[in-house]
Formats: sequence, C-alpha cells, structure tokens
Amino acid sequence: MLPHDTQGKKVGAVLIVGGGIGGMQAALDLAACGIKVYLVDNKPSIGGVMAQLDKTFPTNDCAMCTQAPRLVEIGRHKDIELITMSEVERVEGEPGNFRITLKKRPRYVDINKCTGCGLCFPSCPVVMKNEYDLGLSDRKAISILFPQAVPNKAAIDRREERPCKAACMDACPIHTNALGYVKLIAEGKFREAYQLNRDVNPLPSICGKVCFAPCEEACNRGEMDEPIAIRQLKMFVSDLVNIDELPIPQITKTGKKVAIIGAGPAGLAAANDLSLAGHEATIFEAKPEPGGMLRYAIPDYRLPKDVLQKEVNYIQRLGVEIKTGVEVGKDISLAEIRKNHDAVFIGVGAQGGMKLEIEGERLPGVTDGIRFLRDLAMGQKVRVGKRVAVIGGGNTAMDCARTAKRLGGEDVKIFYRRSRAEMPASAEEVEALEKEGVHIDFLTTPQRFLSERGTLTRMECIRMKLGEPDAGCRRRPVPIPGSNFTVVVDTAIAALGQHLETDFVKELGLPLGKNGTIVADPKTGGTNIEGIFAGGDVVTGAAFVIDAIALGKKAARSINRYLKSEPIEVQEEEKKPQKLTLDEVALLKRRFPTLKRMVMREEPAKKRITDFREVAIGFSGEEAVKEALRCLAGQIEGCILCGECERRCDAKAIDYVQKEETVELNVGAIVLSPGYESFDAKGKQELGYGRYANIVSALEFERILSASGPYSGKVLRPSDQKAPKRIAFMQCVGSRDVERDYCSSICCMYATKEAIIAKEHVGEDLDCDIFFMDMRAFGKGFEAYYERAKELGVNYIRCRPASVEEIPESKNLLIKYLVEDEKKVSREYDMVVLSTGVAPPHSAIKIGKTFGIALNRFNFCQTSIFKPAESIREGVYVAGPFTEPKDIPETVMQASAAASKALSLLKETRGSLIVQKEYPPEREIAGEEPRVGVFVCH
Amino acid sequence: MKVPDVVGYAKTLPNVVYAENNLYTCSNDTQERIKEKIKEHQLNRVVVASCTPRTHEPLFRNTIREAGLNPYLFEMANIRDQCSWVHMHEFEKATIKSRDLVRMAVAKARLLEPLQRQSVPIVKSALVIGGGLSGMTSALEIANQGFDVYLVEREKEIGGNLRRIHYLLNGEKPQQELKTLITKVKENDRIHLFTEAKIETIEGSIGNFKTKIAINGDSREIEHGSVIVATGAKEYNPTEYLYGQHERVLTQLELEQRLAAGDGLLKSIGGNPRTVVMIQCVGSRDDERPYCSRLCCTHAVKNALKLKELSPTTNVYVLYRDIRTYGFKESYYTEARQKGVVFIRYDKDQKPGVSKNHDGLRVDVYDQTLGIPVEIATDLVVLSTGVVPHEDNKTIAQLLKVPINSEGFFLEAHMKLRPVDFATDGVFLAGLAHYPKTIEESIIQAQAASAKAATILSRESIELEGNISQVADENCDGCAYCVDPCPYKAITLLEYMREGAIKKTVEVNETVCKGCGCCQATCPKKGIFVRGFKLEQIGAQVDAALGVT
Repeated sequence: MLPHDTQGKKVGAVLIVGGGIGGMQAALDLAACGIKVYLVDNKPSIGGVMAQLDKTFPTNDCAMCTQAPRLVEIGRHKDIELITMSEVERVEGEPGNFRITLKKRPRYVDINKCTGCGLCFPSCPVVMKNEYDLGLSDRKAISILFPQAVPNKAAIDRREERPCKAACMDACPIHTNALGYVKLIAEGKFREAYQLNRDVNPLPSICGKVCFAPCEEACNRGEMDEPIAIRQLKMFVSDLVNIDELPIPQITKTGKKVAIIGAGPAGLAAANDLSLAGHEATIFEAKPEPGGMLRYAIPDYRLPKDVLQKEVNYIQRLGVEIKTGVEVGKDISLAEIRKNHDAVFIGVGAQGGMKLEIEGERLPGVTDGIRFLRDLAMGQKVRVGKRVAVIGGGNTAMDCARTAKRLGGEDVKIFYRRSRAEMPASAEEVEALEKEGVHIDFLTTPQRFLSERGTLTRMECIRMKLGEPDAGCRRRPVPIPGSNFTVVVDTAIAALGQHLETDFVKELGLPLGKNGTIVADPKTGGTNIEGIFAGGDVVTGAAFVIDAIALGKKAARSINRYLKSEPIEVQEEEKKPQKLTLDEVALLKRRFPTLKRMVMREEPAKKRITDFREVAIGFSGEEAVKEALRCLAGQIEGCILCGECERRCDAKAIDYVQKEETVELNVGAIVLSPGYESFDAKGKQELGYGRYANIVSALEFERILSASGPYSGKVLRPSDQKAPKRIAFMQCVGSRDVERDYCSSICCMYATKEAIIAKEHVGEDLDCDIFFMDMRAFGKGFEAYYERAKELGVNYIRCRPASVEEIPESKNLLIKYLVEDEKKVSREYDMVVLSTGVAPPHSAIKIGKTFGIALNRFNFCQTSIFKPAESIREGVYVAGPFTEPKDIPETVMQASAAASKALSLLKETRGSLIVQKEYPPEREIAGEEPRVGVFVCH
Repeated sequence: MKVPDVVGYAKTLPNVVYAENNLYTCSNDTQERIKEKIKEHQLNRVVVASCTPRTHEPLFRNTIREAGLNPYLFEMANIRDQCSWVHMHEFEKATIKSRDLVRMAVAKARLLEPLQRQSVPIVKSALVIGGGLSGMTSALEIANQGFDVYLVEREKEIGGNLRRIHYLLNGEKPQQELKTLITKVKENDRIHLFTEAKIETIEGSIGNFKTKIAINGDSREIEHGSVIVATGAKEYNPTEYLYGQHERVLTQLELEQRLAAGDGLLKSIGGNPRTVVMIQCVGSRDDERPYCSRLCCTHAVKNALKLKELSPTTNVYVLYRDIRTYGFKESYYTEARQKGVVFIRYDKDQKPGVSKNHDGLRVDVYDQTLGIPVEIATDLVVLSTGVVPHEDNKTIAQLLKVPINSEGFFLEAHMKLRPVDFATDGVFLAGLAHYPKTIEESIIQAQAASAKAATILSRESIELEGNISQVADENCDGCAYCVDPCPYKAITLLEYMREGAIKKTVEVNETVCKGCGCCQATCPKKGIFVRGFKLEQIGAQVDAALGVT
C-alpha cells in the first residue's frame, strides 16, 4: 500500500529500467543530484552488453576495465537500489508521481547473506550454457555471470520442477548426491562426478564395486521401469579417475590428535574426515595391511586389492598415519593411546567367524567363512577339495562358494536353511554365483560332519520347512523330523556371520552390549567415556560397508565438535526416501518414454572362474552416459535441487523456497534504457550461422577475444579450437536490408576493432577480410581508426556476398563474391564473423504496452528530433539503443540527457528521499603509539 | 596461500597489536567485526590484506570512519590480485609474497596520519559559452532544474547554425522550434543572456569560477559553479570545385537556403534545373581534415529528396566515397535511390573534376563501381562541405585549461564513458564544439551536459580528496620544476615577501589537484608531497620490501 499523502505530490525517486551502461549513467547522475534511484534489471546482475565486450573502439581500451569502477560505484551507492531479476508489470499515476508494480523472480539465494565467494559453483552438478559467453562456455546452475558482476551474488537457475523425489540421496546412509553425479556423468563430466562422490564418500571406488546400493532400491525411476544403475555408474567413474593424481585440498591444521583403532571402512572414513578438518589422525591396525573386511573378506574378483590400496593411499596423502601390525590390547594398551591423543575412535569391526556349534566342526576340512577368506587374502595356501559345501545364505557365503569354485572346487554347493526369498545375499550375487555353476540347496541345514580316518567325508543334513515369522520378520525354519540325509563333501565352509572381539576395551571400563558390541550413542557415536567414540560393525554388529562408513563419518563429526568444545549432540535431519504415488508414476510414464536399464558387461562365467580376475567389466563411456541420461532428475533444465550448494554454503545463503515477489514502488519519473538485442543471424539461413560451427556472431567473437572468455583470450575457432589463419567479417547482417531498412551504426567500427585485436592476438599473419558496403566511420576518431586498420593490414572488400558455404572436411568456409570489375572470386576462410546488427530488445513490445509509449515501425522507441530523450508519455524518458542503434558514448550522453529531463521534472524533490549518513566524532590519535590491526582474507 | 601463516606473521610485526583471518573481509558481518576489534584493541591504524583498493578501499575507509577513526588511517595490501590470483599454483611462494606485502603495508600504516577533506561551498549557477542550439538547450535545462545560468554568445543573435536549417527529413519544422526555443530562453528569469559578448578571463575551479565578460566595451564579472562549452562549429569554406568562382557552385547550406526560399534557386538558373550534381566529402576525409563530418551524407540525401519533391524530373547525382546515413537515416538513402537519385562512388585518389561548360557546368568522375569515367553536364554543383571547428576554441581552451585535439575540436575526458566531461572538474562540453553532429545529437549532449552541471550545482559544497598535494614551504625554493608536469594545472608559482626578502614558492589549487604525485616525483628538494604518500611513508614501505628495518 502506498501512503495516501504521496498522491498528487512529486516523488524524489526515479525508476530506471535496464542496468546497462546507459541505465548506470542515468542512475549515477540522478543519485548525484539527490534523487533516489531504483535500478531494475531483468538479469541477476547489471552491466549490459558492455560487460561482454573485450575492447572498445576507437581507443582499444578494455571494456571491463572501463566499466568495472562504475559497476562498483553503483553497487556501493547508498541512494541507488538495485532490483535484479525483475520486470515492470504495471505503471499507474502521472508525471511526478508514478506507482510501479514489479514482478521479481526468485534468485533462490539470499542476497543479503551471499558473499559471492563462489565455493558453491564447482560442486554444482548441473552444467548449463553460459549466457555471458553466449553459450561458448559452460556455467553451473548456480552461478555469478561474470567475476565483476554487481551485485556479486550467486543466483540459482531453476526452471522446472524435478520429476522425481531424489529418493536415492535420502536412502543413502551418507546421503551421497547420486542425482548430482549421475547428472554430471550424463554431461560427460566424469572426473567431476568422481569428485562429487569423493566429497562425501572417502571410499567411492569401493562402494562403486561392493555397495548394496540402497539408492537403487529407492530410485523413483524403478517405479516407472527400472532403477538407474547408480552403483555401476559410480564404479565407472571411479575406474576412470586416477586417484593417485587427484590434488590434495589445502588443510588448516588444528594441532589436535585423534587415534583411530581399526583401518576398516569406519576407521578410514573417520580418519579421512578428521584429517580434512585439520586434526592429526593416526590409525592403529592389528593386521599387516589396512582395509579391514574390505581387504580380508571381499575376494579380488569383486574388489581388486589395488583399487582399495589407491583409496587408502589417498587418505594417507591427506596426512593420515596408518600403523599396521599394532594390535591394541596386546602391542599397546587403549589407556596409553588415550593418554597420547585428544580423542579416540574405535572401529575394529566384527572380525570373528561364527561357528555352527555342531559335531565334527573341528575336523580338518571344516572351516568358517571369515577365516577361509582371510587366509586367502593374507596369501596363505588355501585348498579346497572337489566337493565343497558352503553353509549360509549371506554375501559371505556367496563369496566363499565363488572363491571355492575359483580354487578348483568342482562341485560347490550352498546349503541354506530357508528359501530363496529369505536369502540376505544380494540378488545380483546369487545370480552371478548360479551362473558360475554353484547350486543352492534350500531349506537344508547340516546336523553334523562325518569323517573317515580323521578327514571330512560327509555331511549329514536335515530338511527344513518355514514356520512362523521371527523377530526379524523372516519365517523361522523348522526341521522336518526324519528328513535326514548325507552328502559327500571334501570341504565344508560355515559362513554364518561374524562375531566381535572387543575384550581390549574392558580395561577402560567401556560397557559391552549384546554379542560383545560396544555401546555407543547412535546419534553421536559417543561412549560413556569422554573422548572415546565408536562406530561400524563393532557397534551395530556385522553390517554393510556404507553403514560402517556412515558411522565413521558421524563419529568424525562428533569428534570434531568435541575437539572444538562445541556441544557434541546436534540435530541431524534424517529424511526418509520418498516413493512416488501411483498418479505420479502414471504422469511420468506419459511424459518420459520407457527405457531399459543399461546392462553392465561382465567376464563370461566360464572364463572368470578360472582365476580371480574382476568379474565386472563396467560400462563404456557411451553406455555410462546413456544410462545416466535415464535419471529422472536430469530430465529437466536447470537446478535439480540436489542441495549440493546448500551444503557448501557457509553463509547459509541458499534459499530454495524463495517465491516470486511483487514489489511496489513510488517514483516521480522513469528512465527506460533496456538496451538492444544482437540480431539473431539464424534468421539469415543463407549465411550458415547455427549450421556451420565456425561461423560466429560478432558478440560471440568478442567473447572469443576476451581474456575472460571461453578460450581465455586465445583466438580459436569453435569446431576444433585451432587458431584461424583467415577470418572474414561480413557486415550489415540484419541491417540495411528490406525488413530492417536502418543502419546499426556500430558494426563497421566494431568489426574494424575485432579485426585489429584478432591480428594483435594471433599475429600479423592472420588475414582479416571485411566485406562491407559503405564504411561508416562517422564518429570522433573513427576515420583515423579505419585508416590505421588498413595500415595494420586489415583488408576491406566492398561487396555483400550472398551466401557462405562450408567445406565439410575442413569445416572451412567458402565465400564467393564479385569484385568491382565484375570478376568472380572465391576465397576460403577458417572462420567467419557476422557483424550482426542492433535489433530492438525482445521486451520492446511489452515495455511499449506497460509504459504506454510509442514504438516505431522497427519496434524501437519513438522519439522526435527536438525531444530526443523523451517518449510520448510525459515523465517517461528514454536512452540508449532502445531509441536508435548507437554506440557507448552516445548511449551515455542520452542517459545523462534523460536524467536531465527527470531532474527538471523533479527539481523540488531533490534530496527528499536520499539517505543522510551520520558518523561518530573522530577519535584524536595524536601522541598515541601506533596500534595496528591486520585483517587478512584470501 | 596459507592465510593463517600470514596472520601469524603479521602478529610478529612491530606495532601490530591484533591480527585475524576472515573468510570474507568485505562482507557486512566482517565490517561490524572490524569495528568491534578497533574498539576492543584501541586500534589506531588498520591494514586489510585482501583484494584491490580500487574497488574496496572506500568500503574499508568508511568502516573505520564508522568506528571513529580518521578514514586515512587505513592501508591495504592487495594479496588477492597480486598473490592468490597470479600465483595460483604456487602456494608457498604466494604465501611468502603475501607476507612481504603485509609487512610493507604495516610499515607504511605505522606512519599514516589523519587527513582532513576540505569542503568548498558551491556557487549555484552555470556559465554556458555559446548561444547556438546546444548552448540554448543547456541553458534552458539548467534553468529548468532551478539554477541560474549565464549564456554568453559572441554574435548579435542567438541560434547559431540552426538558423540556416529550414527543413528536416522527418518533416519537423526547425525554424519554428528555433523560434520557440529563443523565446523560452529570453523569457526565462534564470537565464542571463549576453550577446555580442566575449569571455576575457576565467579563474577558479569547480564550484567557484570567476569569469570576466566583455560586452560592448563594458566588462562584467560573474561567479558560477560550473561551465558548459558549446561554442559550435562552422561550415567549411571550400576553395575547390570552382566554389566562389562560379555562381552555380553552392554548398548544401546555400542550396537549402534557396530551396527553402522557394523561387530563388529557380530564378537564378531560369527554371527548374535539369541536372544537379552533389559532391561529398568536400573538406572532410582528406589529408588536411582527415575526419568525417558525419552530417554531409544525410544533408545531401535530404536536399536531393527536396529537389526531387520540388522538381521530380531533375536528375540528381551524388558523388560519394561511402554513404554514411547511419541509424534510421538509412531509409531516406533508400528512398532517394527509389526516387531516382543516382549515387556514383569516387575514390579519394580520383576526385571529380568540375569545369565550366557553356553557361552550365561539367563534372568528370571515375565511377568506381562501373570502372568507367563518367561525364555529367549539370546546371548546379552542390558541395557537401564539412564541419570545421571555430578558431576561438583555442582561446577558450586556454582560458579553461582544457584540451583540444589536433583537428581543433574540444577533447573530452574519456571517449567512451565521459563524453560530455572535461578532465577538469566542473567543465562540460556540448554540441559541434565536440564533433560534428546532428540536431538531435546536439540536443542530447546539451541536455547531458546540463545533468552533469546539475550534479555539481545541486550540492551545497564539494568535499575534496584528502590525498592531495601539499607544499612544504620551508623546503620549496620556487624552482617551479613541478609546475609544468602537473597534468591538472593545479600548481602556480608565487612570490611573496618574507622577512624582508622575496620568497618564491608554489601554491596548490586543492580543488583541482587529484593527488597523482607528478609534482612530488619531480621535486628535487622535498618541497611538495602528496598527503598519505610522504617520502618517509613510501620509504618505510620500500625498506620493508627490501627487508631493511
């Protein structure tokens, strides 16, 4: 609501539409005269076309160097209020007192909190065309258009609603940004995809190979057809990236020391995160090598040791020290460790294999699964007989059976007491195992092992049936009396589960829970002893790798808070993965075609069982991209709401729930300086723009010349990024033709400039031919500039060629033209620059209607010779190319002229709405010793 | 770089009582923090090691001022541009260099002194030199903005070149507009018009000029805060193409005069001309005046269309080099061709020839497009003469200490972004005195100049920079070495009596000085220095750079 008493009175404020150099000039002039200015721009930052220019004619001054101080001045001016991403919807009132209604689009970034640091950009997975470089380079969905932008605040380019609910991210215990990295893979940004993983997951390549992938189970695409192969995509990027070459981030040391017991996934994860937080992390590992169960329980054909080693190496490069072969409780006491460190994390895992507790279990030839796999991993000689029985239905049982097959077991069989549906092993594993020729005997359990002459010969079993569900909701197996039978076996492996070996903690009085687990707070990992934390299998009992990593990370966060003397317990939001409703699924099915999940290639079963080669071959780049493109989140343009920027933002500036706003202003006058559009040369089919890669518009070439442009100022042609030897400039594209019977006034000079600068960058050998009709060097210093260009070897050809053709092999361009004595000439160029004309802004018609002003037949604003800065509506003044094509100084002059008109209209109101600044009295420092304060930032 | 390392190092420097590391020193919360720390640690000098003073010095100066410190007790070390950016891949070295820069900044900061900004009251009126279209427009705009204006015209009548323009391409009526404008100027109470007047002297600087004007032998002194130069330009007076030797060789303005008068033209040649030849670039784009006069192509098109309107059977030829009907003027060029005006392109090295032919004229031209020589028997030859600056410009330039370019036009402060300003504060430029331009463009620049003048006149006073030159009278012996190098002409030599002897010294006009330091660099006797950049202050910085303590 506007105050009533302002009605009819003149208001000491001016609305300026368009933040280009014209709008900026008018704003500065008006504000300097005591008028409050609202500077409205449709873009996230001001600067207009001038901000995109490399140099300016005829002095070849750097455009940004010239403009930047003004941008800063505007940004800091107390009486100029910038209103970005906004458009005027309604104008009411009369000259001296207009009421303006603006529509302000959400930026999704709190402009008052964002510091413009840019830390959110690299991690954003959505790659978009950078408009500032006219699509010649990429930017992220969250970005700042150019480094000198004012306001220097990020904006999120969010265009559509995401069709899925990103359940993958919520399903992952460490909330891996799966939709983000899948999006990056879809863009072909494989290294970035790995990095995005690595940012939360210290062991991405491990998870890529062995994670049970709860993300895939939750994936909303699964409701439509099949879930995205998220794990395999992770494996693809992890295999591709050379971890040894990854840079190490800069870490500021805190001087605090943390001991970690156990170099399994939980310990490694905790060490990784603590080290990144600046603490000195030391891992004590009883085994000769780090990795825990990853090394000693997962066979090579699933997880090659060198893959593990590379991840461990990277963690060591972060500064983590790993002391192997040191068993806590034996080689060193926990008390001693505690004394020498500021905090301790216990992540020793579940190391022991469970026993069947039946007769004959101690016979040679009978072993437990954990020991079996560990012995093999440690390089001990492990043999199996021809007939191998593996007892159990979990992944360890599968590993044992498949390993036995590879060790020469001819008849390898699994005995499982429940049915297939109850098997805890992953379906993938079961399928692979069966392919390899392992048979599963369901509803069977061993009763005893029988021997002859001290060796295992047979196993007596009993058939089971399924009874009532047990506590874990699985149906309990019940023996069928009298169904006993025996099978002939040479080797029996009991893969029943793991138990804990945690006696070493007793010395400190840490209480143990069920099955010897360490009791720790599930929210923090803290134990009842201050400074001692625990996580992983040792707390939960045997679980998945990703669970152990999650607990290691959680404990690391708690330890970090503990070391900084912050409260250890914080509220961590746990989001449950959301399913789509049936209606939503139906809607998606209509919107997106069904696409089969990409099947990853594997080594053929016959071949692979002959050794321990890795079974998975993985995706090719093409397959990976194709699979990644199935992701529903990636189907939209712009931000996919993955939350990565929000996690990175220390200033807490990200605000996804911002809404479009309506802003009302009361102003006395209006200055319109909406600028112009560069003519879209796609409208001239015959010139090949948009079809041939090496034909660019003049503004695109301007970006190519610019040091801040797509090629850092190297003059390269888009098709192969090679330096051109011959460039043709074609004048009057979109000017001086039948539909546009006007001259764009600036093209002759900017083409001359671009030719001069291109020669400066590439060297004198570069041929620059400018095809023109009349050389319009009519401004101050222009004629001399034109003469100088000729001296520098720029070649002017007076002719308007009808068309340009591409030579497909070389992507060079052929221009045929007539010289003045009617001779036909044809010349080949590496690159063609179209001197595209000045077209009215796209918004011209809307502006015309909204502000009630007249446009001419080309849709530029109508003015008259004796009122050149005035529209037909009193109080609405105009400046810049919106009234007629013109160059920068003429725009600047007209902007000042428009300001002058507004000043005349509002002369009584000067100073009425501006901010008066008051300062405290100045402190006398005479006679004081200097006391210097130094504030450093990078 | 390792910021904590730099902070740690800063703490070891002499007189540093506090140092800290901020994520973003420029953010609002850090500004508050700096203010708190100033109070908490009783700081009396502040060093910020971050980005460039070009963009951020005003912010930090303001911050420490808000904390009650003099804003000049601030020093900046640009470790972003000069370390993190340029040595992005050399962590260690960038850190070492940052330490160096911080050490230098602290060394200088220790010697910083509070500086005061002088405040000068503004005389709220303007002087406009030149009573043509631009001058009148400027004067009227300024008056409408509520300020007094002195409008000075050398001629008896105001109106300038516009008096000779009788019709326009779009049908607007220039003489009617001129009449209205003159009336408005004459009737405006705030405009003080002096005709047949000459500027004798202009003294002072921004906000406070004193100007002597001679009017009919009388002399008058006026005071004003700003100046607009709108002295206009003239039509080139041709010596070529039989101009002045043959009555049927005219300039475009002369043709316009006759076409507007109705029968004058027709009478002199005994009826409608059968043929008219116009020659472009007369006195422009040649060795003597290499610039383009901008207007002549459009003027020729305008008069050609007028001829065709008055006498459709007349053959009109335009001999040109490039047709420069820029912007929306292009459509009139199209229209002229549609109406049968023939455009023949000639080359600079093969200019047309004009000779007498019976009672008419003959024009010979080599047609570049067809590649053949063409001979035209014509009734009239019309020369599209260029625009030349007034000789008076030199005098005005000297009086105001502003530059003119080699062509004799006034030179603006910056070609792109300050097209109506002079480098000298408070003095602005409009119209043909700047460069040839159309009516519309002259009005735009005149209005722009008025807005610029208003930015000064709407203030009560002007605050000058603190970092400007100061004379150390005890050292200065008046050698005047500094006078000429000063790019702002801010220094004058003066003599006065001291202790019975003549003492020579220099004086700095503080309203003009920009603190560039040329004088200090030139002075062999430590007789002049820029405040905040004293020799000892810079010396301390150099010593710190070299590691001399």
